[in-house]
Amino acid sequence: MLEFSNSEPLTLGVELELMIVNRRHYNLTRGSDDLLALIGREQHGFDIKPEITQGMIEIGTAVHRDTRAMLAELLAIRALLVKSAEKLNLGLSGGGSHPFQHWSDQRIYPKERYRLVSELYGYLAKQFTVYGQHIHIGCPNGDVAVRLTHYLARYIPHFIALSASSPFHQGVDTLFQTSRLTSVNAFPLSGSMPMVKNWDEFNDYFARMAHLGIVESMKDFYWDIRPKPEYGTVEIRICDTPLAIDTPVLLAAYAQMLARRCFEEDWNDIHPDRQLTYSYNRFQACRFGYDAVLVDAASQRQTSLLEDMLETLNALTPHAIALGAESEHAQLRERVLKRNIDSQWLRDIHADSGSLSDVVQQASERWMYGEPGRN
Amino acid sequence: MDGLSWHTLSFNPLAAFGLLLLLGAIGGQVATRVARLPGVTGYLLAGLVIGPAGLGLVGNQALSQASLFVELALGLALFEIGRRIDLHWLRRETALLSTSALTSLLIFVALYALLLSFGLKPVGAALLAAIGVATSPAVILEIVRETRAEGQVSERLATATGLNTLFALMAFGLALAYSGVADSAAPGDKLLSTAWLMLGSAALGLVAGMAAIRLNAWLGGGERRAQQVLLFALIALVVGVAELLETLPAMALLVFGMASQNLRRGQTVAEPDLLSRSHIFFVAFFVASGALLSPASLSMYWPVALLYVLVRLGVSVACWLAAARFNGLSLKQGALLGLAAMPLSGGAFTLLLLASPMLEAGVATGALLAALCILELIGPVMTRLSLRLSGETRE
Repeated sequence: MLEFSNSEPLTLGVELELMIVNRRHYNLTRGSDDLLALIGREQHGFDIKPEITQGMIEIGTAVHRDTRAMLAELLAIRALLVKSAEKLNLGLSGGGSHPFQHWSDQRIYPKERYRLVSELYGYLAKQFTVYGQHIHIGCPNGDVAVRLTHYLARYIPHFIALSASSPFHQGVDTLFQTSRLTSVNAFPLSGSMPMVKNWDEFNDYFARMAHLGIVESMKDFYWDIRPKPEYGTVEIRICDTPLAIDTPVLLAAYAQMLARRCFEEDWNDIHPDRQLTYSYNRFQACRFGYDAVLVDAASQRQTSLLEDMLETLNALTPHAIALGAESEHAQLRERVLKRNIDSQWLRDIHADSGSLSDVVQQASERWMYGEPGRN
Repeated sequence: MDGLSWHTLSFNPLAAFGLLLLLGAIGGQVATRVARLPGVTGYLLAGLVIGPAGLGLVGNQALSQASLFVELALGLALFEIGRRIDLHWLRRETALLSTSALTSLLIFVALYALLLSFGLKPVGAALLAAIGVATSPAVILEIVRETRAEGQVSERLATATGLNTLFALMAFGLALAYSGVADSAAPGDKLLSTAWLMLGSAALGLVAGMAAIRLNAWLGGGERRAQQVLLFALIALVVGVAELLETLPAMALLVFGMASQNLRRGQTVAEPDLLSRSHIFFVAFFVASGALLSPASLSMYWPVALLYVLVRLGVSVACWLAAARFNGLSLKQGALLGLAAMPLSGGAFTLLLLASPMLEAGVATGALLAALCILELIGPVMTRLSLRLSGETRE
C-alpha cells in the first residue's frame, strides 16, 4: 500500500539532468565524481547528485510557490556549478541528448541502484544517457494526483515542443525535434499510467504489479507522467532539459497554470479514448515540434499543435493572473508565436559550422553563462 | 642474385619500419598477455631484446633508417601534448600552472645539485637536469589512450606534461646559452645559434598553428577527413622543416600544438584524434626507443642513475601531494599524479645528441642513458598503476 504524502497544492519543484562535457572536444566525459567532490567542499545545501552514467549530473530545486524564487535558486545552483566546473575545465550543458557521444563509451555510476539497472537492462542502461527536466506539482491527495496525471497527458505534446532539444543522436540528424524520448520508449515500463480512476485503484494496480515481481517501487515506472506519492506530487518527465537556464521555469509555470485549471474545474473526465491518441500525438510532437498535427479523440478532429497551444494559453489567462504568472504566460505565448524551439537553434549552429563539437560548445556556453530573459 | 647474400643486405627505411612494427606488435602482445604489462612496456622490451644491446637483430643502421617514422611519432605526440596546454583554462586555474612550474623548477634544482655532487661540470649538470624536467608526452598519451582514462588526474597529468616539456626545452636552451658564455671562444656565435634554435622553432610552430587554423576554417567542420589529412601534413612538414632549418623540432611541434589550441578561432582545428589513428608510428617509436636503451651503462652508472630517478620522482610526488587541495584533488589523487608523471621523454636521446659536445663523455651521458633505462621500463607501468588507482581507467 503506497501512502500519498499530502502537499500544498500547486507548489512546484524541478529537477534538471545536465551533460558534463570535456572542454577540449566537447564530448561527454567522466566528470561527475570530480565535480561532486569539489562542490562537496563548499557549504551550499542545494540538491546536486549523480545520475546513471558519469557524464551526467542532476540538480533539483526546493519546493516553491512561485517561479521567480525558483529561477533565483536555479541561478544560485548554476553559479556554484559553474565555479567548480571552470576549475576542472569541464563544460555543463542542457539539451536532451549529447549530439555525438557513443553510448558504449559511457560508464555506469558506481551506485547500487544504477548497477542493478545496468544488470537488468543491459545496453539500455548506457543508452539512457539522456537528459530530461522533471517538474513536480504539489497535490492535496492521491485522488487528485491521479486526476491531474490523466489531465496533463492531453498536454504532453505541448511540453515536448516547448523543450525539444535533442535533434542529433550518435552523430546524426534524426529529423526529430527530440530523439531523447525514443531512448525512454525502449524500457518495458515506459509510456503512460493505466486507466485507474483514483488512488485506491492505483494502489490495486501497483500491488498486482509488485505481487507479480515486476516492480518494487514507483521508481520502476518510466512513465511520462507519474504520481510521486513520497513527495505528494505529480511528476512530469517528458521534457528534454532545455538549453537555457530560464526555460525550465517557464515550463514549470505552464504546468502550474494547467494544474490550477484542473483543480479549479474539478476535472474528472477520465476516459480510455484518451489513450488511443496518446502515443500518436506524442510522436507527432517529437518529430515535428510546433508543426505537429494532433488528433483529439473526444472532439474527433485534428488540429495543429501551434493552434492548440495558443488556444490553451488563451484559456489559461485567468489562471496566470491568479498565480501572478502573467510575465511567464506572456513569454510562453511569445515563444509559441515565434515558433522558438531549441532543436532548431542547435541545427542552425550545425548548418553554420558543420561541426557537432561547435554545437555542444555553444550549447554549453548558453547554459553556463546565458542571462535569463535573453535566450 | 649473384653477390646478394644476407650479410650484405641493408635495410631501406620501409623495411626497417616494417621490422620494428612487426616485432613491436608481437612484443606488445606477449607483454600484455603474459606479464600484464602496458603495451608501451612491451614495445620497449621488444626493442631492447632485438636491439644492439640484445640479440642484435636490429642494428644501428636499421634504426637510423627508421628514424623518419620515429621522428614523425615524436612530432605527433608533441603536437598533441601542446594542444593540452589550454591557456584559457590555465589563466583561471592558476593552481595547475603554478604547481607545474614549481615542480619543474624544483626538479631542475634538485637534479642539478645531485649531478654537481657526482662531479659533473655545471654546464653538463644543467643540461641533464633540464632533460629530467620533462615527462614523456608519448608515454603519457599512449597510456591514457590504452587505459581510456578520463578524469582530473589524467587531464592535469597531460597538461602538466605539456607544460614541463615546454619548461624543459626552455631550460635546455638557457643551459646551452650558458655553455656558450662559459666555454666558447666566440660566445656571441653560440648565443646567436641558441637563440635561433629556440626562437626559430617557436616561430615555426606559431606560423604552422596560424596556417592550421586558417586552413581548417576554410575547409569547414563538415570536412573532418580533409582536416585530419591537413593536420597530419602540417605536422610532417614542421618536423621536416625544423630539421632543415636546424631548429629544434620538439619545440616547434609543441608550440604548433599550443598555437592551434589557443589562438583565436583555434576551435576550428578539429579535435584531431590523430593519436589513435597514428598508433602504428607510436609502436615503431617505442620499439626504436627500446632498441636504443643501453643496459651496459646501467651496470656502470647505476648509483647516480638511481638517485636521478628517485630525486625526480620524490620531488614530483611531494609537490603534487602538497598542491593537491589547490588543484581540486584529494591527497591520494595528488600523490598519484606525481607518480604518474614518472616516464622520461624518449626525446631525451635527441637532446642528448644535441648536448653531447658540451658533455663529458663518461659520467654525464652514461648517467642519463642509465636513468633512461630505468625510467623507460618502469615509467609506463607506474603511470598505468597511478591512473588505475585513481579510478579513472576503464579496466
